[in-house]
Amino acid sequence: MKKKLSEKISELEEKVDWFYGEDFRLDEASAKYKEATKMAKEIEQDLEELKNEIKIIEEDFTKES
Amino acid sequence: MEDKFTVSEFIAYCNQTLEYSYSGCVIEGEVTSLKTSQGKWVFFDLKDEESSVNCFIPVWNLRVELSEGMKVLVKGTPKVTAWGKFSLTVQAIQPVGEGNIKKSFEALKKKLEKEGIFDAAKKRPLPRELSRIGVISSTQAAGYADFIKIINERWGGLEIFVCHTQVQGLAAPDQIIRALEYLNERSEVEVIAIIRGGGSADDLACFNDEKLVRKISSSKIPVITGIGHEVDESLSDLAADVVASTPSNAAQMLTRDKKAEISNLHDNILRIKTQIISRIELTQNDIKLKTVGISAKILSNIESSIYKVDNLKRVLKSLNPENVLKNGYAIITGKIKIGEEIGIETEELKIKAKISEVKEKK
Repeated sequence: MKKKLSEKISELEEKVDWFYGEDFRLDEASAKYKEATKMAKEIEQDLEELKNEIKIIEEDFTKES
Repeated sequence: MEDKFTVSEFIAYCNQTLEYSYSGCVIEGEVTSLKTSQGKWVFFDLKDEESSVNCFIPVWNLRVELSEGMKVLVKGTPKVTAWGKFSLTVQAIQPVGEGNIKKSFEALKKKLEKEGIFDAAKKRPLPRELSRIGVISSTQAAGYADFIKIINERWGGLEIFVCHTQVQGLAAPDQIIRALEYLNERSEVEVIAIIRGGGSADDLACFNDEKLVRKISSSKIPVITGIGHEVDESLSDLAADVVASTPSNAAQMLTRDKKAEISNLHDNILRIKTQIISRIELTQNDIKLKTVGISAKILSNIESSIYKVDNLKRVLKSLNPENVLKNGYAIITGKIKIGEEIGIETEELKIKAKISEVKEKK
């Protein structure tokens, strides 16, 4: 299932936090950095491309239902 | 032969004609002789310089605070009573003019405040991550266009459900109420935005409707209002969970800014790079310190061993019998008894001798 934009942003935040946390390992840093950059690019692309969907409700609010 | 009516038929005929021709007519005038009967009906006269008309409205349908001399806009249907009295059955009423609107606003605000309709404790924050927004506005209004423009500029991927209603005039409150009910019943949206651009006090007066204010306050979905300009304040604003100063401001409050988000992404990646470099430097320093420590330890161990060996050598040297002979002493071997032969060793000689006398030292 495709991840929501907000989920991707949260995931990236977690990835960034790893670099500042106690779990940081230099031998894993390069791979983690590549993952984070890839995700950042994906998010940027999503942000540029995602459009809002505007639906006008057909209900007639001038009349009592 | 002309048509002939009974009195009742004639009045019914007149009412039919009046209802057909003037149903929902809107009249502007001044309120006089205001009184409430049995707590159920409100009677008043609506007058101008020359004329006056009797009006009545059920108490439950009076949604603004009226007072003597107040100029109002009234929507109603004219009617002739069975006693031939002409009156107007009022369906909606709204104060007209800044002063009257303000007066009615303050009176209703006081009443609703006492009931806790505007209590700060009731306010809910906007959900942090929004994906579905309900909007109540006129799709033809400039305020709505501003709201949508700003939302589209700032964020994407949202579903926006728009209820098109009037946002000014006597019919507006009921339409907005129906839209609020519609969105609340379906529970598809996470927040409801009531949007209306700037206008005169008269244009915005519909947002001081008591029934609308109560409906906003009781909405199970959080409500944000973006009505008028910064200086405008309506009772709907006071009842809403969150108040935006304008439609554009409401759009800003509901969405993150994708430009800021992208800039944040770049900053994050840069921060990671800096962090990795800093971690590498730290690790290098750590390794250097450890190497220096190990070398020092080895050196210290070697020195300690040399010192120990030197000491041992010194002790061994002191224990060597050759050194005793060098000092003029001799080693005697054999049985110490008169007549026995013994061996005597000096530094340079080995001698054999016989014992002629043995005497104890005193």
